[in-house]
Amino acid sequence: MIKVQQEDFDVQALYDDLVVNSETGAVAMFVGLVRHFSSLPSQDCTFELEHYPGMTEHNLQTIVEDACSRWSLNAVTVVHRVGKLAVQDKIVFVGVSASHRAEAFQACDFIMDYLKSRAAFWKKETQGDKSKWVDAKEQDEESLTRWE
Amino acid sequence: MNELNVVFFASLKEALGIERYVLEGDLPMTIKELKAQLANLLRNGDALLDKGIQSSIDFEFARDGDMVKQGTKEVAFFPPVTGG
Repeated sequence: MIKVQQEDFDVQALYDDLVVNSETGAVAMFVGLVRHFSSLPSQDCTFELEHYPGMTEHNLQTIVEDACSRWSLNAVTVVHRVGKLAVQDKIVFVGVSASHRAEAFQACDFIMDYLKSRAAFWKKETQGDKSKWVDAKEQDEESLTRWE
Repeated sequence: MNELNVVFFASLKEALGIERYVLEGDLPMTIKELKAQLANLLRNGDALLDKGIQSSIDFEFARDGDMVKQGTKEVAFFPPVTGG
């Protein structure tokens, strides 16, 4: 399942959906949160995520299909939020179920690595009355070489 | 002449002051040629020529040398992505 949405998500419900059958022996999950990115109090900070409707979903689908071709997986869920968020809000959920933990861990790590550099999302941080688009990190691009 | 829908995102959209532009031009042309045309046409168009600016053709990531063919629905330009 792939979803791009404004609303929050329920990790327990997403976990339950990943346990699809008795073949499942491992579920690996990652949740990304909005870090407190400023010296100002949390309530003076906001965080915004922009995406490219249509392309973003297509990018995520491509990444998940690539993961499914590399490892034997039972189910994959990616939920990514967009719009205005606050410090400590959940941003992204990636969950993978498989028969064994190695596949689940690796596929979850792979999907997050590619989501960072190959999916059309952009973050903007606001501190008080100052806003700034977040720069991409070279390290994120370098992380992809692990999977070549 | 072809009509090509071009969209912009994030800091590039803000620099250009527009999120969409319909270009009337002759296709095919490369992404690099399209960027150069738009840089001339749009206010603050030089922002398109910044080194990190990325692109897509009909939702697929593209490079400067990739061809925008006749029948292309949409090209996008944007800064490096920062999801997750």
